[in-house]
Amino acid sequence: MAVANLLLRTIAENSMVVLLQGLQGEVTTVDLRNESTARGRVVNVDAFMNVRLEDVLYRDRRGKLTRLQDLFITGRNVRYVHIPDHMDIMKTIQSQLAKIHRVRNFASHGGGRKEYSKKK
Amino acid sequence: VAPEPTNTVEEPLDLIRLSLDERIYVKMRNDRELRGRLHAYDQHLNMILGDVEETVTTVEIDEETYEELYKSTKRNIPMLFVRGDGVVLVAPPLRVG
Repeated sequence: MAVANLLLRTIAENSMVVLLQGLQGEVTTVDLRNESTARGRVVNVDAFMNVRLEDVLYRDRRGKLTRLQDLFITGRNVRYVHIPDHMDIMKTIQSQLAKIHRVRNFASHGGGRKEYSKKK
Repeated sequence: VAPEPTNTVEEPLDLIRLSLDERIYVKMRNDRELRGRLHAYDQHLNMILGDVEETVTTVEIDEETYEELYKSTKRNIPMLFVRGDGVVLVAPPLRVG
């Protein structure tokens, strides 16, 4: 289980998904591949860009609105994610990467497996 | 996410690196185009674009004359994360004329 998390963290840290992971708690609009949009609070984004939103206003391609309490969007179905104006992108990415490195260094404390250590 | 500090162009992605903080033109799938300032990108071509103008082009065919009527819809978005699998090409902004 720990190996799976390490893999997911490595996938995430090598791509821009970390920025989306830093959007947790923010209200954003996700434009889907099928021309619909979902606006809601980001609960979680994983390494594959799968997104969970809550308190969602979902607008289908015809413009019809639906309120949804919980929405899971597969990463493949994401076209755009609107970034809130007030967000500092570089700071968010840096703090997300710091979280990943903290966990990795914590795991190797006390002489654990050194090959995953990023210290140069 | 953090590229190695090198100034040589070694692979196609390095050409995109040269456009960081510049305005670029992105052609996307489904007849979409984006023009915006490139803030960040990764190897999947996921991108962060600022001050974006999205153009969606549709073709309507007149049923009687069979004329092709090209319509384009534009909208502006201040800051946009674009998923890389929709990107077809990246270029400097097209100059008209």
